[in-house]
Amino acid sequence: MMQAASTMPAQAAAVALDVKNVARHFGGLVALRDVSFTVREGEVMGLIGPNGAGKSTLFEIISGNMPPTKGSVSYFGEDCTNAPAYMRRRSGMCRTFQKVRLFESMTVEQNIRVAASQCLPEGRNAHDEVASILSQFRLEAQAQRRPSELTLADRKRVEIGRAIAGHCRLLMLDESMSGLTHDEANHLITEILALNRTRGITVIVVEHVLSVLAAMVNRLVVLHNATVIADGTPTQVANDPVVIEAYLGTKQKALK
Amino acid sequence: MNTSAPSMTASQDNGGQTRALLFALLPVAAVAILPLLPFVNDYIIAATVRALIFISLGQAWNVVAGIGGLLSLGHGVFLGLGCYTTGILFNHYGIPPWIGVWAGAGMAAIFALVMGSMTLRMRGVFFALATVAMSLAMVQLTRHFVDLTGGSDGLALKFNGNSWWAMQARTPMPFLYGGLVLVIVFYAITRWILGSKLGLEMQAVRDDETAAAAAGVSVFRTKLTGLMLSAVMTAVAGTLYMQFYMAIDPDAAFGLSQAIQLQLPALLGGLGTAWGPIVGGALMIFLSEVTNLGATKLEINGLDILVYGIMLLFVVLRAPKGIVGFFMDRRRGR
Repeated sequence: MMQAASTMPAQAAAVALDVKNVARHFGGLVALRDVSFTVREGEVMGLIGPNGAGKSTLFEIISGNMPPTKGSVSYFGEDCTNAPAYMRRRSGMCRTFQKVRLFESMTVEQNIRVAASQCLPEGRNAHDEVASILSQFRLEAQAQRRPSELTLADRKRVEIGRAIAGHCRLLMLDESMSGLTHDEANHLITEILALNRTRGITVIVVEHVLSVLAAMVNRLVVLHNATVIADGTPTQVANDPVVIEAYLGTKQKALK
Repeated sequence: MNTSAPSMTASQDNGGQTRALLFALLPVAAVAILPLLPFVNDYIIAATVRALIFISLGQAWNVVAGIGGLLSLGHGVFLGLGCYTTGILFNHYGIPPWIGVWAGAGMAAIFALVMGSMTLRMRGVFFALATVAMSLAMVQLTRHFVDLTGGSDGLALKFNGNSWWAMQARTPMPFLYGGLVLVIVFYAITRWILGSKLGLEMQAVRDDETAAAAAGVSVFRTKLTGLMLSAVMTAVAGTLYMQFYMAIDPDAAFGLSQAIQLQLPALLGGLGTAWGPIVGGALMIFLSEVTNLGATKLEINGLDILVYGIMLLFVVLRAPKGIVGFFMDRRRGR
């Protein structure tokens, strides 16, 4: 099934996410067809594909907002295909949204506290967790502000902070770099990679800016026409004739 | 410091808290000494009791709609359950309202549980419509069980004169203090909710259900808890309503104009704030009394409804966060 598994650096690590033969139909429209891939613990994986390839649908299925028509999703060895979104979050499967979705009437601190108080394992203090997240994302000065008073880059950092607060093993980012300047995006990437390194969080990034992805991930899964057409390291994917033909076209230099 | 702002507990300083406490005690003291004032008669006391009752009903609705963001248009169901349960238990079985109030609250909780389980998975407008349907169903039910409820004529409490046991009085004064205590208790409950984990969850669900689930909040359970809490509070206020007015009928409990009166205090005063329903409810009854007087003098029927409408229009257009929200925003400098 996984032609790229043998090339994975984290080969020996546990399987964090196992997507098996997932399909999703909307009436007559096939949004996903027989999609399978695994993500190992500690990996930083990129999921790319043109608009309409099925990235968002796949994202919603994995995070529990939409049931698949067929197939299954396992998280650290447990089938979670039918688990509701909030249960997945409590077990450490975390996500952000393509368009930042914060609790607009609440302060930054409260936004993070909601998640921390839901998802903290027994015996840990929510207050400490919120403080640690605020300091990690350098949001202390903004803690009492409302989201509407923040810059887009800060709003995205709050959303990631809320996403990982409490308990996080797998972080799924939906186009987190879009709308940011080059510097802001680089900054955010550094912070995400730091989460991966220091907290051991597995990361899945959905993105369409290929140059951004190539620089941060050690593996790419390419979605095209509702199915996976390539799975491997960025270099492998960039040189894959199927990908070049189907998706990158003449723009394969974008990856370099 | 925004001490009167919702859920600002983390940022309150001591000076601000003291000021807020004084600010809160002022209206309490004003209501408490009302009967001692020379110009105050039973008419004014009764109007104040009406205000307190509608404030407490508004506080209850504010929990589900203001903090929880669930547009329950059929909250009269829970008011009716409180009134009818207390009244039926007293008239038919001689059970005093001191016990009836808890029976009514229990009925409301069970009804909210059943109704919530059926409707709370629906989104927005469908939930609102379902609550309206529930109200209409309750009208038919009360009319059907004529022996118990008195049907369309309504249910009048058997009058016992001044009686602690029956929670009845010839003058409105005891209800002034009963209503005051209820409003204070409901205010404390609102503040507690706003600062609690449940309150954060409810506000998160109100702001964005999908994001709340992505933060680990069980959206359905949070909504259900909020609805049940609000239903219980409404039914308890309903008992006070019943003891004060001494009668209830299907229209007064489940009718459209009652449903609107339950929502106005929070809408006028400020949804989701602890002070909103208090300010809004006081204003609503004040306006209703003044316009009633005006309507009688000028012989214009329905002047009060017109004034409500104009007030609501003003709030919607100029102060969508209500009076309290409007001033809070100004203090925040926006």
